Amino acid sequence: MKRLKSFYSRFPNQRLMSGKEFFVKRYHSLGWNFEDVEPKQAIRINVVNAEKENVLRRLKLAGVKVQKIAFLENGYWIQESKVSVGATTEYLLGLYSIQEAAAQIPVTLFTELKDKMVLDACAAPGGKTVQLADSMGNTGAIIALDVRKRRLAALANHLERCRVSNTVVYQLDARQASKFGLEFERVLLDVPCSGNFAADSDWFKNRTFKDVERNAKLQKEILAEAYRLLKEDGEMVYSTCSLEPEENEFNMDWAVKNLDLQIEKIQCHGQNGLTNVFGKQLDASIENCRRIWPSETQGFFVCKLKKHGDI
Amino acid sequence: MKIISGFVAQFNASIALDESLIANKNNRYFLLNQNLKRLLRKELYYAGTYLGKTKDGKFFPSFSLLAMISRGNANKVIVDRKTAWLFICGRDVFQQGMTKVLGSRKKSSYTLVLNEYDECLGFGKITRNLDEKRTGLAIKNISDIGDFLRREQ
Repeated sequence: MKRLKSFYSRFPNQRLMSGKEFFVKRYHSLGWNFEDVEPKQAIRINVVNAEKENVLRRLKLAGVKVQKIAFLENGYWIQESKVSVGATTEYLLGLYSIQEAAAQIPVTLFTELKDKMVLDACAAPGGKTVQLADSMGNTGAIIALDVRKRRLAALANHLERCRVSNTVVYQLDARQASKFGLEFERVLLDVPCSGNFAADSDWFKNRTFKDVERNAKLQKEILAEAYRLLKEDGEMVYSTCSLEPEENEFNMDWAVKNLDLQIEKIQCHGQNGLTNVFGKQLDASIENCRRIWPSETQGFFVCKLKKHGDI
Repeated sequence: MKIISGFVAQFNASIALDESLIANKNNRYFLLNQNLKRLLRKELYYAGTYLGKTKDGKFFPSFSLLAMISRGNANKVIVDRKTAWLFICGRDVFQQGMTKVLGSRKKSSYTLVLNEYDECLGFGKITRNLDEKRTGLAIKNISDIGDFLRREQ
């Protein structure tokens, strides 16, 4: 904690601890030199609804040029398009979804999804819920939660468009999920987060360190609740589109030390999680997390955890 | 579920729906399976396959229900690529854009509109007898999948 205080003491004039300079210096001290980036648009083919080759052929006919994303099985970059990829017949029929490339990673980390009982704890607007259903071949069941009703409408539209049939959606705060008395074999925690500048051009203007702290606290509460619902040997994937360690490595360190969750090794795009952050030494297993600095994708953090015992 | 089977019958079609697996939440109907049924709680917002909603006694089908109807015998019109695109944009179907008619060709019948890949794009009402070899308006657009975009606006 002393070392963290020492880091923040470098910004004596920034009482709010906000602004581009504050955050860029933080990223630098985490080993990344800030650069303005514009993530590439990406799509994911819903293979339960269509043959991949057919969709690609139809997109080509419509004037959409795509390129396979090396680190994703069903993901493609949009290289060029004569039409809006969010308004083609194929999109409206749910043959593909527009989904940011890094955001496609979390669902791919579960070892087996068919016939499983899955919780998508912070589901709206539903890109990952549809991806889960697609990976499950619409088998098993997904319980999808979100607390905000307006976002649930977007989630419902997404599910209907993509012909998802194995999902039940509830308006519920993820921190109250245990009220249903259900247990899950897989839990996806794509938690509410502070976001990142690559996905929001006004990010530096709007965000303060207080937001980061508030989100980190909320994320820990959601993690604790999700842990209670996860079956023994169950898998949990935690992700954020935040670059801030408080919402990522620090939370995973807390989870490992307080929830008897173990971080699993994963093979996916990104760099190892940071084990020494602002001078604070974290659990060595944090390096099995993946931190993705913005470039072709937005900024992202993802981690796979396994439950081995009770609190 | 008379209101749903009544709607389906308008296409000279029928689909088997197990009433015990249909959930109604605020006049919105969902088709479940046994697995999902046991997971239902009162906070339900959406579940399984959305079938449609009723408003003022009238049934408004989902596109999933229309796709289910289109898989069996039903009134259907297959349209060419350009007509399919215009239909999705909310336009009516002109006779010259139709490549095949299945089922009723009579004025005032309801018909599904499908593209060249047999994918259901929506439905409409036949505006005149399709046996007459004429050009011009043939099917009035009632609902099409472009609605997914219109809902977001």
